Amino acid sequence: MGLIFIRTIIIFVTLLVIMRLMGKRQIGEMQPFELVITLLIAELACIPMADTSIPLLYGIIAIVTIYFLHQIVCLFDLGFKPMKALLSGKPSIVLNKDGIDITQLKKNNLDVSDLIESLRGAGYFSLDALDYALYEANGSFSALPKKDYESLQTSLPIILIDEGKFDKKNLERTGKDKDYFLGVLREHGCKDEKKVLIMTIDGNGKAYLQKNGEKYQVLELNWEEKQW
Amino acid sequence: MVKTIASIFISLAAILGIAAYEIHSVGNTFRTFSRALIALYNKTEDKTATYEDGCAVRSFWKEKKRTLHVWIPHTSIENVDYQLNEALGYLYQQKYDDALPKIEVLIEMSDKIPRSYSFSFENIF
Repeated sequence: MGLIFIRTIIIFVTLLVIMRLMGKRQIGEMQPFELVITLLIAELACIPMADTSIPLLYGIIAIVTIYFLHQIVCLFDLGFKPMKALLSGKPSIVLNKDGIDITQLKKNNLDVSDLIESLRGAGYFSLDALDYALYEANGSFSALPKKDYESLQTSLPIILIDEGKFDKKNLERTGKDKDYFLGVLREHGCKDEKKVLIMTIDGNGKAYLQKNGEKYQVLELNWEEKQW
Repeated sequence: MVKTIASIFISLAAILGIAAYEIHSVGNTFRTFSRALIALYNKTEDKTATYEDGCAVRSFWKEKKRTLHVWIPHTSIENVDYQLNEALGYLYQQKYDDALPKIEVLIEMSDKIPRSYSFSFENIF
């Protein structure tokens, strides 16, 4: 039984570390240690139940060990703040008043398109409609919109340049060619698309441009007619 | 907080208590079983062992294996059953030379089974 106790602790700690390292992409609405418990407990209950050659006590001890570890993690969570951050992680502010914080995104194994997807899921379609956006420790997404955010999203923005690369399909959708947008970039001090972290454009010709390591800009491209 | 701390200590005490009892109980049973097997081995070597001697060892094993099922995988118990019955068959036929290796395997098993549950690097990993 002592062996099962130690082995369960080793598996639990290993899974917890791996889940923390994987970042928020792997977690959905659960703290990392809760997800680890969910992953383990079903197997631990099933194996001795299905395999009659294993004493039932093996499963019971492993489950009690999981309960013991859960209580320890809860104790750290409640009593020691630095341990809480270590075990459950901290919220990551991925979008602030300067634009997207790519370092925070990468820390959580996410990219700009993941962020935009999360934004859409939360009901925000335009990057400039928000003051702040963050991923909570449990992987859920929260956002603080600007006061007049509804007036800022009148048409669906699409990604034109994502981390230095043009999205060819979306480029076609705009009805303009690459040179047109390269010209726009040059006008705003950007030699080529490689320097761009993100550029989105909506059907009215409103572009959200953020260069690597710089604050975002909102550009009005003065299109004669609405594209979509 | 108090409830959490209390539950940690209670669950830890329960696990450690069960673990200590397991080590003590399984170790004791196999030590006694091993002594009985060594006596049987010596008698078989001298060709004085009878079928009844073998049955006495089997009775002891049958009595103990009921509780052993709680602690060790049932396949380990089945292996002991198999080897013991084989040895008894040879003793019944007074084939002492055939019974000896079977009893030797049983002695080895009664030494190895409790050791496979002890705290050691190879057992943990």
